[in-house]
Amino acid sequence: MKTLRSTKNVWMAEMAGLLARWFLGAVFVCLGFSKALHPVEFLKLIRQYDAVHTPWLLNSIAAALPWFEVVCGALLLAGIAVRGSALLVTGFLVLFTWMVVHRALALQLGIPFCAIKFDCGCGAGEVFICRKLLENAGLILLSTWLLAGRGRRFCLRYRLTQHGA
Amino acid sequence: MNDDSNNSTTSDRAVEVRRVLVEAAVVAVVGAVIAFAANAISPRGLALARNYFPSTTGESVRPPLMPLVAGIKANGLQWVDGNRAVRLFKDPAFREQRILFIDARDEEHYREGHIPGAYEFDPYHPEKEIATVLPLCQGAEKIVVYCTGGDCEDSQFAAIALRDAGIPNLKLFVFAGGIGEWMTNGLPVETGGRNSGAMRNADR
Repeated sequence: MKTLRSTKNVWMAEMAGLLARWFLGAVFVCLGFSKALHPVEFLKLIRQYDAVHTPWLLNSIAAALPWFEVVCGALLLAGIAVRGSALLVTGFLVLFTWMVVHRALALQLGIPFCAIKFDCGCGAGEVFICRKLLENAGLILLSTWLLAGRGRRFCLRYRLTQHGA
Repeated sequence: MNDDSNNSTTSDRAVEVRRVLVEAAVVAVVGAVIAFAANAISPRGLALARNYFPSTTGESVRPPLMPLVAGIKANGLQWVDGNRAVRLFKDPAFREQRILFIDARDEEHYREGHIPGAYEFDPYHPEKEIATVLPLCQGAEKIVVYCTGGDCEDSQFAAIALRDAGIPNLKLFVFAGGIGEWMTNGLPVETGGRNSGAMRNADR
């Protein structure tokens, strides 16, 4: 009886990991494409962060980042190099979140923090800052969970190197 | 025995961490190659070496910290308000193409609605329209460039691109309020292509 319950719990955890991987992958593919299809708009938005002042570097970020997100999302969907992709996705999300907070604070001119609304260049148009931070926190949790080893079901190649798998 | 087991676990963990880091590095390199290749192939891709945000204050792409009109002046350009833009639009010289209106937004927004008779000139893709627009600008006496209005700077970038192509600065005027102010005032707007005949507020 105890073994049956334990098997069921393992199965549920595996399925939750699979759904988390598919969800995170789909989010990154969709948001990446929405930016990749409008690179000039994305370029203008990331310029507003005032973090990069060199034209070729700003252009490179605007040109490559959306497609890079699509690649990471596709790898997560297919289950290839899952933990490596999850590590990159986590790193991106932490960096983006820090930059979005920084910009929101710069825009906060006597209004409550959560009332700040702007297009952060995240691919979903104008959003309220607190909603964006909650979304990012959720995505960071999911990517960290995958990084910890979840989401191994239905993977084409969970690890790139198969030694000791 | 316990020490051996602990050492083995720590060593396994270190190997696993290293493996994940190497995997992330491989994904990063492959992802970057695919990303730049996709940008190069895409018809909407960006030209990496180009400065899309030209200004006379240097090569930096820093966004302006000053109000729009001050930014227009800092770039050595002249500006017109809504009233002056309307007067130029109603001037008989506009029909004779001695006064030109240039819409500095992308094709999608241009087709949604532009000042009647305005030419499309997207400063982010100047190669699309420059061959049409440049000879007309050379023959014109006044050129009014506009974009969305508000904090939109694309009209300035278009004016700078025309100036860099040899159009005298004295001919160039940035309509700061842009299509936003034009539409708010209920002035006529043409949809679709130039001279499509499809108009809104045609009686104004």
